[in-house]
Amino acid sequence: MKSKFTFMIVIGSVLVFSLAFTFIKPTPLYFQIPKGWPKPNYDFTKNPLTEEGFQLGRQLFYDPILSKDSTISCASCHLQATGFTHVDHSLSHGIEGKIGTRNSMTMMNLAWSKTFMWDGGVNHLDVQPLNPITSPAEMNETLANVVQKLQKSDQYKSLFFAAFGDENITGQRILKALSQFELLLVSSNSKYDKVIRKEAVFTDQEQNGYQLFKNNCASCHTEPLFTNGNYENNGIPIDTTLNDIGRQRITEKSEDYLKFKVPTLRNIQFTNPYMHDGRFKKLTEVIKHYNSIGNGKNLPKQLQKSMNLTDNERVDLVAFLLTLTDNEFLFNKRFSYPR
Amino acid sequence: MKSKWIYSLVIFLFFQWNYSQEKKDDFCLRFNIKYENETLVQNKKYVSKSKDTLQLETFRFYVSNIKLILKDNSEISEENSYHLIDLEDPNTQKISFSKKPNIEIKKIVFSLGIDSTASVSGALSGDLDPTKGMYWAWQSGYINFKIEGNSSSCKTRNNAFQFHVGGYLKPNYAIRTIELEPLNSNFVINVDLAEWFNQIKLSETNSIMIPGLKAMDLADKAKSMFSISEF
Repeated sequence: MKSKFTFMIVIGSVLVFSLAFTFIKPTPLYFQIPKGWPKPNYDFTKNPLTEEGFQLGRQLFYDPILSKDSTISCASCHLQATGFTHVDHSLSHGIEGKIGTRNSMTMMNLAWSKTFMWDGGVNHLDVQPLNPITSPAEMNETLANVVQKLQKSDQYKSLFFAAFGDENITGQRILKALSQFELLLVSSNSKYDKVIRKEAVFTDQEQNGYQLFKNNCASCHTEPLFTNGNYENNGIPIDTTLNDIGRQRITEKSEDYLKFKVPTLRNIQFTNPYMHDGRFKKLTEVIKHYNSIGNGKNLPKQLQKSMNLTDNERVDLVAFLLTLTDNEFLFNKRFSYPR
Repeated sequence: MKSKWIYSLVIFLFFQWNYSQEKKDDFCLRFNIKYENETLVQNKKYVSKSKDTLQLETFRFYVSNIKLILKDNSEISEENSYHLIDLEDPNTQKISFSKKPNIEIKKIVFSLGIDSTASVSGALSGDLDPTKGMYWAWQSGYINFKIEGNSSSCKTRNNAFQFHVGGYLKPNYAIRTIELEPLNSNFVINVDLAEWFNQIKLSETNSIMIPGLKAMDLADKAKSMFSISEF
């Protein structure tokens, strides 16, 4: 009888032991769509958000292990306090001080983006990080190598276990975790948003600037995301030291020559320098450009005519653009370096 | 009471044995990567009909959406049918099918490359995991097949040639359908690189890394690499 008892005990404890694992499940996170905003483009059913997945993505985002010589992290060129772009750098530098050819993009409200990069060559948020990871001027690494490096780390093994239920580290999981972190970078609490939600009011100057914005800028920088997600030629001449033809490189269509992504204007106060090659240091220079744009070829019809704003109107427009600053986003501790 | 333990062990082993039996009986599609009449050897020198002396370093290609059409016109297919076949890894040159055809196979149909559904679905796993080095970074999409090596005909750095052929968007759609008819049930699919190199001149064409007309042409030429013969 004793051995029968032992038998039952062994079977029982195996069952209890295996049950224990079913209880360690990642904590689901709910993606909140700000009131009045469109439906996100990202398919969350293919990558359900969890707290553990988000934290793993955050860890990866801030870890230089993604680069060949472990010197550059995503955050090297995407700093939170400046809307996740590289402040004061017209072009960013990667490993060994190599310089790229484009201004690093801001990162916010990415769940609504259909295509990525200045030329739209990337069709899904998950696969965007392959660009900086493999670019010789950025991280100059391979995803397969990143997997190998992470597999040597006990800390990452437990982070992957927490996020995905086992210690298996794969390229897919790295990319999905990075997406989870990036998807939650939602900026929707600027003064502008509060005014729209009737929690705040514009000053007269801001209100006037908002009117000017709606008349002159909103057809491309559409509310509430402040981008229509399209690619346009904004009339700045080609930089002959870079010869970046923009979207034409992807589509090989001549009508896409010098077209670049219409960037969001959210947090624009801190995302300088501006344009795909960072040629304008100040917001006033950007406005001056649109104010006196010539009748260049290929220009979208929205830009066929210069804005012709007066000096005062230009000041008002800047005042409105500053209401797009979202300090809760820029200083949200959840998005900062993990400690 | 010891018998209970032995009894459990026997049951356990029985299921193990059963399982491994099943594995063994799986139906397999075998790929034989060749150069003319012999099995291709990495870094061995070959001469093409275009008089190019060449050495192969890398040859990888995707086989997807495999369909077996049987004599009674019924079809056998598999879910998530995406397989990366790699010259360097013999294990990849055998695709086991979970469903075994019980009558003769009339036709085997598969795609050389990865369809647009998988190309726009973000980060995927297994053979589609981007760690496999078959996903483009700057322009999303899978590389359908990759051929790399060197030849004295190439006036390039290290005499290297590099072909990364892909493109899932029209008009640069570079996925090709391969149809093969086996003569009996014991067959192997031959992939003869000579057929492909015989159609190009490495002095003129030695680096195609983007989707476009040239890539589509190379994809067309790749169709003739595939043939079927007795195992």
